[in-house]
Amino acid sequence: MNTPHPTAAAAIRKRELPKHTAVWCILSLQLLPLYMMVQMSVKNNTEFLLNPWFPTAPAQWNWANFAYGIKLIGPYLANTVFIATLGALLTLFFAIMAAYFFARYRMPGHNLLWSLFITLMLLPGVANIVPLFTLLKSMNLLNTLWALIILGFAGGQVFNTFILRNFIEDLPKDLFEAAEIDGASHWQQIINVVIPMSAPIIGTLFILSFLHLWNEFMMPLIILSDAQLFTLGVGLIYLDGEYVKQWGQIMAAFLVASIPLIMIFLFCMKLFVRGLTSGAVKG
Amino acid sequence: MAAVSMSGRRALYNWRIYLYVLPSLGLILTFCYFPAISAVVRSFFEWQGGDYMQFIGWENYTNAFNDPVLRSSFVTISVLIVAGIIKMVPSILLAVLIHRIASDRWQYWYRVLLIIPMVVPDLVNIFIWKFFFDPNLGLINASFDLFGIKSALVWLDQHVLHWSAFRPDSPISWLNEPRLIIPSLIFWGFPWIGAMSVYIFLAGLQSIGAEVYEAAELDGASSWQKFTKIEFPLIMTQVRLNVILVVIGTLQGYGLQYLLLGPAGGPAGRGMVPGLWMFNRAFIAGQFGYACAIGMMLFLIIAVLTYFNNKYIRVEK
Repeated sequence: MNTPHPTAAAAIRKRELPKHTAVWCILSLQLLPLYMMVQMSVKNNTEFLLNPWFPTAPAQWNWANFAYGIKLIGPYLANTVFIATLGALLTLFFAIMAAYFFARYRMPGHNLLWSLFITLMLLPGVANIVPLFTLLKSMNLLNTLWALIILGFAGGQVFNTFILRNFIEDLPKDLFEAAEIDGASHWQQIINVVIPMSAPIIGTLFILSFLHLWNEFMMPLIILSDAQLFTLGVGLIYLDGEYVKQWGQIMAAFLVASIPLIMIFLFCMKLFVRGLTSGAVKG
Repeated sequence: MAAVSMSGRRALYNWRIYLYVLPSLGLILTFCYFPAISAVVRSFFEWQGGDYMQFIGWENYTNAFNDPVLRSSFVTISVLIVAGIIKMVPSILLAVLIHRIASDRWQYWYRVLLIIPMVVPDLVNIFIWKFFFDPNLGLINASFDLFGIKSALVWLDQHVLHWSAFRPDSPISWLNEPRLIIPSLIFWGFPWIGAMSVYIFLAGLQSIGAEVYEAAELDGASSWQKFTKIEFPLIMTQVRLNVILVVIGTLQGYGLQYLLLGPAGGPAGRGMVPGLWMFNRAFIAGQFGYACAIGMMLFLIIAVLTYFNNKYIRVEK
């Protein structure tokens, strides 16, 4: 490829500059809460009052804030990791099976079943909360982590089934036929054809489900009453009301609460950006 | 791939295929449909959450219609919905800006930067904003002082609004001043970029080929014309979809209000929204039947909106 003429390149740069500036302005405002959280997490209140905006020198960082933050929310973190991981895995497990059923075959009752699924995507869940509470009570699931996992995958699978069905329908038919000739059962076709072929989309959906469960706080607040079982959300809500505010320590606790998400994003950033860009969630 | 059609005897022979949908079906029937139906039934009962229920007909609904708190909560939520729709503008603009950047590499990096704030859990983000609203330490008051916005607001208050919410001698107490509750709920999350919406808009914009832009350039189209004539019509589907999601999401949401203002909706209950009132009635006042009735009203409103949306606004997939 030939390089553009120097003056032409300069002209392009001049035309592009305002766009870049605008994008940076918007994005930096958007990143401000994250920035404030990180830089405040190593300050104490006096340091913050003297210098609210800029980070202090690394030598002055109060690592003790983190020790305190971990002590505050450590147990909640473990509960939330448990719920989000298991919930997201089971969400995809059920969604892949259901999507396989809808994408591969037109069985009698197909349309009725599909409309049962698709209606749920349009119906609001808000009216459910009160009866759901009594349902869980009668199943003896109130004040358990399993209640949150079950609710997570029972509701979450619907959206995932919808996306995966479209994706599986677009897979080449030959793959399934070849597998069938080799005597593969449905289960083996799911393991050997569907999962490898749709790995990027499954990865993206897993992250989305995980995020969703991680961010949930209203349901846990209603369901959990035992401090040992609190998830991050409930724990932080109680912290917000209870403690004399040492903002550095609280921000450190917030940062610790974000660490699992940071890890996921570090490892899966490429996959996630690609999955979303290719239109995994066109809506 | 065309799906394999099966009917009659062949379907019967391959009954095992149903096993793949049965678990999901059982789950949605138990945890989604059953509660929804029992909510309808229970909204006609006086019910404190225990075993005892008494049928009272439409009484919960007539009470709801005469409930001043519920009525004002619907006014509040309408304001928030309109604000929510307007708050989509920055996301649209950002998507168009990123799309127009010539360098693919930069486009990629901006996409990455866009999703980085997603590592902050929603709840933590709301709490950080609660801290931003703090009258003495918060960043909003600090930056308003810095840029002289506060004196502008004080002037506006003295000469136009007459709220006496912005006073020159004391810091603005965003979440403690009844008049400022709704403005705070609207301002929250500035600049209101939803990473997911931007991605959805970008996916729509990707369908515009380079030749369309070249033709527009030959015709001497300004960048505003490119936006109104090419880009906006092409993402109209996604915009509509987003509007629906915003309307439905705002109507049933109450987590934000709960976290920022507490279960009573803040000072003078100015931040009370229907969802929060439902939560409040059920889990604080113990009026479960009444809460179900509020839930049903919200449900009906959303169902009607969804119906008209599907009927009159065609969203091609």
